[in-house]
Amino acid sequence: MHEVANTPRGRGVLACIQCGRCTSSCPVSRVVPEHNPRKLMEMIILGLRSDVLGTELPWYCLSCFTCLDRCPQLGDVGEATFAIRNLAVRQGRIPEGILVQARSLLENGRVVIPSRMHSIQREEHGLGKAPTVDVEAVKKILKRTSFDRLVGKGS
Amino acid sequence: MKYAFFLGCLIPAREPQYENSVRKIAPELGIELVEMEGANCCAPFSIQSVDYTSWLALAARNLCMAEQMGLNILTLCNDCYESLLATNTLLKGNQELRDGVNAILADVGMEFKGKTDVKIFSDALYEDVGLKRVKDAVKRPFNGLRVAVQPGCHLTKPKRIHFGERTGVSALDELVQATGAVSIPYERKEACCGGPLRGIKDDVALSVAKQKLDSMKNAGAKGIVTVCPFCFIEMDMGQIEIKRHSNEEYSLPVLSYAELLRLAMGMKLEDWEIRAHRVPITGLLDMAEAK
Repeated sequence: MHEVANTPRGRGVLACIQCGRCTSSCPVSRVVPEHNPRKLMEMIILGLRSDVLGTELPWYCLSCFTCLDRCPQLGDVGEATFAIRNLAVRQGRIPEGILVQARSLLENGRVVIPSRMHSIQREEHGLGKAPTVDVEAVKKILKRTSFDRLVGKGS
Repeated sequence: MKYAFFLGCLIPAREPQYENSVRKIAPELGIELVEMEGANCCAPFSIQSVDYTSWLALAARNLCMAEQMGLNILTLCNDCYESLLATNTLLKGNQELRDGVNAILADVGMEFKGKTDVKIFSDALYEDVGLKRVKDAVKRPFNGLRVAVQPGCHLTKPKRIHFGERTGVSALDELVQATGAVSIPYERKEACCGGPLRGIKDDVALSVAKQKLDSMKNAGAKGIVTVCPFCFIEMDMGQIEIKRHSNEEYSLPVLSYAELLRLAMGMKLEDWEIRAHRVPITGLLDMAEAK
């Protein structure tokens, strides 16, 4: 539990009283009952480290922050999700969809770049090219923070 | 009113029609958009999931650019809004965190000073332009068109941490009413569209979208109005995908607020912009009537 609580976004786990209001307000829980934020908090509190980092549950979160605004303990459940994801990434666990965006960021300074069709559309209709990005600055920052190594592109 | 115009990644790459409507109506409303050449990705949730410090440093670099321009940031995207506003709030309130981020930014010749504010398009219209000026610009109001407003999560949430008393949803409702359309109440209005899981857990994203679409349809909506480019894709493209999977049809055309206002101001959308909507919007185009 303290490993999570000691990360910048994980402090909320210390306040959890297992009331379950997060789960009852979660839009994902309504369609995927296994996604249960309260249970995830319980697993953290019980110190089930490998289960917490191994489960897919943190990756089901929409980051809509409804749980966070409704938590009676000001417990920041939606924030703790990021703490767990950051720890899981350091174990090499990162969903493909996120990896694709992270690598695009590293390469292009953007998570999405204009398709050929959209680039032509922009030129044709007077919008011009998409704004430029200082990719070198992005690379410098992400090298300094070791982001490049986390997504398997560092040296 | 002059802003540093932060376009982000998704809108210029996938929704240039949204950008175009904003560029068309801005001068009429006294808004001057100053381009932010060289700005990087805002570092949305996918990037925040990988690393906390990288998020803050990337978002802060954009904030620093606006500081150097001496302007507040105007963004069109809820995710850019959340990322930039959260970083601005965190770094303004925590000297230790700010020092850490500034040590990284020094590598690229920048320093966060905490001298800019971040506004999303609807809040800028409501707070800076003012409802009266928006109303005065409306020449062809939508007489009583019933629309479901899809505010998107990160127009207001998390309230407790970043957004505080920002006007958000009620401001957007009033702006919609200013065009003559009616923002109808519906269940789960402030709930998520499902979009953040698109490309990560597609089936879950679509199930969440379906809950919203059901609720909108049941409440008698004739269309959907949003300010968020992710909500736009999920509500628009989502309807096509749901039809493909379950043959269920909603036929709810989706407009960005900028498009709704542009039409109400008496301007036409161009063919390529109309075609950028997967659910046909042709039925809505002639509903704006002369005053």
